[in-house]
Amino acid sequence: MRENRAASISINLILTVFAIVSCFPIYMAFINSFKSQGEIFSSVLALPKSFSLDNYIGVFTELNLLGSSFNTLIVTFIGLAGIVFCGSLAGYKLARTSGKLSTLIFTLFIASMLVPFHSIMITLSQMAKGLGLQGSLYGLGLIYIGLGVNMAVFLYHGFVKSIPKELEEAAKIDGCNDFQIFTRIIFPLLKPITATILVLNVLWLWNDFLLPLIMLTDVNNYTLMLSINMLFGQYVADWPKILAALVLTALPVIVFYAFFQKYILEGIADGAIK
Amino acid sequence: MQVQELNVPIKEVTTKKKKLKTKSGHLSLILFVLPAFIFYLVFLLIPTIGAGVYSFTDWNGLNPTFNFVGFSNYIEAFKDDPAFRHSFWFTLRYTIFIFVIQNVAALLLALLIESRMKSKGFFRTIFFMPNMISLIISSLMFSFIFTNVFPELSKQALFSILDQSWIGDAKVSFYSILIVSLWQGIGYMMVIYMAALQGVPKQLKEASMIDGANVFQRLKHVVIPMIMHAITICSFLTLNGAFKVFDVVYALTQGGPGTSTQVMALNIYEEAFSNNFRFGYANAKAMILFLVVLIITLIQVSILKRKEVEA
Repeated sequence: MRENRAASISINLILTVFAIVSCFPIYMAFINSFKSQGEIFSSVLALPKSFSLDNYIGVFTELNLLGSSFNTLIVTFIGLAGIVFCGSLAGYKLARTSGKLSTLIFTLFIASMLVPFHSIMITLSQMAKGLGLQGSLYGLGLIYIGLGVNMAVFLYHGFVKSIPKELEEAAKIDGCNDFQIFTRIIFPLLKPITATILVLNVLWLWNDFLLPLIMLTDVNNYTLMLSINMLFGQYVADWPKILAALVLTALPVIVFYAFFQKYILEGIADGAIK
Repeated sequence: MQVQELNVPIKEVTTKKKKLKTKSGHLSLILFVLPAFIFYLVFLLIPTIGAGVYSFTDWNGLNPTFNFVGFSNYIEAFKDDPAFRHSFWFTLRYTIFIFVIQNVAALLLALLIESRMKSKGFFRTIFFMPNMISLIISSLMFSFIFTNVFPELSKQALFSILDQSWIGDAKVSFYSILIVSLWQGIGYMMVIYMAALQGVPKQLKEASMIDGANVFQRLKHVVIPMIMHAITICSFLTLNGAFKVFDVVYALTQGGPGTSTQVMALNIYEEAFSNNFRFGYANAKAMILFLVVLIITLIQVSILKRKEVEA
């Protein structure tokens, strides 16, 4: 009994220490974002003397953070809508048809999940140029559909197999055509896996850096991550402003996390294990 | 005889029916799959094939014409390109570190948290949070920690080991890249391990406890075999991800000082987009990255899959 208590206390202690270490960088960035450059140099660990919002106001007026958030939103929305629409249609039909053609297409989708993005980025950017998509936010969104749809097809395919076929047969007898069966019967049933796919892809699209870096040329079209990175070069070691910008961009994500935590954590576990 | 004669037309009728059905089946298959396939074809399949084809050419990305040069790009990458060779070994070393530390730490954290009844949710929330913050923001945040907070901590005589040039010194910046990646990535693997641990039947644990197994025996003989599928997945994800590391290095050290912390993805990026437009050559390097990732993950999955069956 005593041993158990000692073990329990030490486990709690270890976890608490790790938790503090884990939060420390965010905490440091947060408290220092209220300080002046001088105050950072003299007392970086201490709480700020006053929680002045000057850095935030400065960053907000000098940088187009709202604009680049909006750009990221457009790209994320196009990507998500396309991935869910195309992925659910294809995943459903491929799961319900057997035969060489369907197996071949499905295998192609799955096999390509092993291709690292970095291996195709050069030819992809050439392709985008050829199609006139270079520099366009819509083009970026479309590319995300192409890169993300195979994973969605895979997950939908697996999920559809657990839905009984009798439902579709009954609908067919009632006079539904294939597309109606999909929109009225199947897609609503796919909700749980759609949520998983949305969660996984939101995190990827919102935080992605390399593809926008290659695709976008005009500063006005920059996504959030590109703007942040550019700002770092612009304000060389002007830490108060940089930190304020980092906090401003990280905060919405943390709020999003607080609200959708259950779906995010479940989505990740389901996406990996099922 | 009569029965057999009857059988023939019936068979014909059914095959005809079947054919008709598959024809309409094909049409609807195509209609449903086409949207996904077009995007996939244009933005994934063609670029993949293109990368393979161009890797054997001297294309400069601008001229419409190019020559096939056989394997000379590949030979050059390994023989006459010390920066690429360095990036290869650097990435490999990084991958080994990440693979081991991230999996061990994530599994240990998951085990510790799973043993808590009340605070499980709280700790899981905290440890996963860094994963929500993009690698670019994480890296810039750590840039501040390394240049301002660590020197201060060491000045306070708390941890003199922290007093180093975390970004400027090639040897040390390897570890700073590692720290940011681990800080950001452990939570993800931990969530997967926690989900797997929840799937271990309670009866099994109880039975082994009654049999007198201690914590370590239980871990080795009951828990690990039961979560082998999660170990396979997490190993795959860490290996696969580590080989493609880009954002952290780009934001933290830009591959510097010099090219000392340049990883493969960054080397390829620079070759294609900021050096000298040698697209054929850059594609050969890209294909090398692809093949390395493919071979390593296939070996890993086949080894661990075998263990899964045993369990």
